[in-house]
Amino acid sequence: MFKKKVTFKILLLLIASDIFETAVHFFFKKSTLQASCGQVTDLASAAVLLKAVFLSPFLWAGLLMVVTVFVLWSLVLSKIDLSVAVPIASFSYILVPVVSVVFLHERISALRGLGVFFVLVGVILVSLSSKEKAGQIK
Amino acid sequence: MKEALLLVLFLIALTSLCDTISQLFLKSTIDALEFTPKLNFKKIFKFMIKLIAKPRLWLGLVFSLVSLCIWLVVLSKVDLNFAFSADSMHYIFIALASRFVLKEKMGSNRWWGTGLIVAGIVFVSLS
Repeated sequence: MFKKKVTFKILLLLIASDIFETAVHFFFKKSTLQASCGQVTDLASAAVLLKAVFLSPFLWAGLLMVVTVFVLWSLVLSKIDLSVAVPIASFSYILVPVVSVVFLHERISALRGLGVFFVLVGVILVSLSSKEKAGQIK
Repeated sequence: MKEALLLVLFLIALTSLCDTISQLFLKSTIDALEFTPKLNFKKIFKFMIKLIAKPRLWLGLVFSLVSLCIWLVVLSKVDLNFAFSADSMHYIFIALASRFVLKEKMGSNRWWGTGLIVAGIVFVSLS
């Protein structure tokens, strides 16, 4: 019923979806930074934080990105399997740490960097297994 | 401090779970459409209209919304790169859900990859 092969077009769609996904996380983090609320300890303080966050323009920019990602992601899922699409969408594991360091001035320790590297290798392995499976089915 | 970390990890697991459920709804809705649009705006628009007319999709979106609210709370507590790395546990949920709910075939390479992702999450949590 569905094409299992990951074509160049689908790959481009996935990368575009990943870039917008990164923008989503960047804007959401910005919106919580702008809210600059106290500690979230219970449901009531969480509600206060969410109220402040929803007043931030960054959140609405993020939500606009969410809609874009939704359209792109739906297109991808209409063409390939879920267990193929999700691992290949790992591009954001490179993008998000880079954005965190460059734009949010966060620091990454060596151990955390190693962890991200492990995740990345695992994700690549999963993606390759998807390609093998796709080849067999074809 | 350790309890706070556990709480954040629990919240991240919860948001991952909600996200996985919404992905399952989305994928099964799209599968049921049996419609793969060509990449021009007219076809994509038609596809999206057909998609949002399905009630099952909105059920999935409810889970997305819950996931988003929990995610915003998580982001207020920890750095983006920590939160995003720990969120990779949703690869495990997706793998299990694909295997057991969508009945997709899983090779050994894919399980190894999933194991490495778990190891990566542990490293990130320790740092």
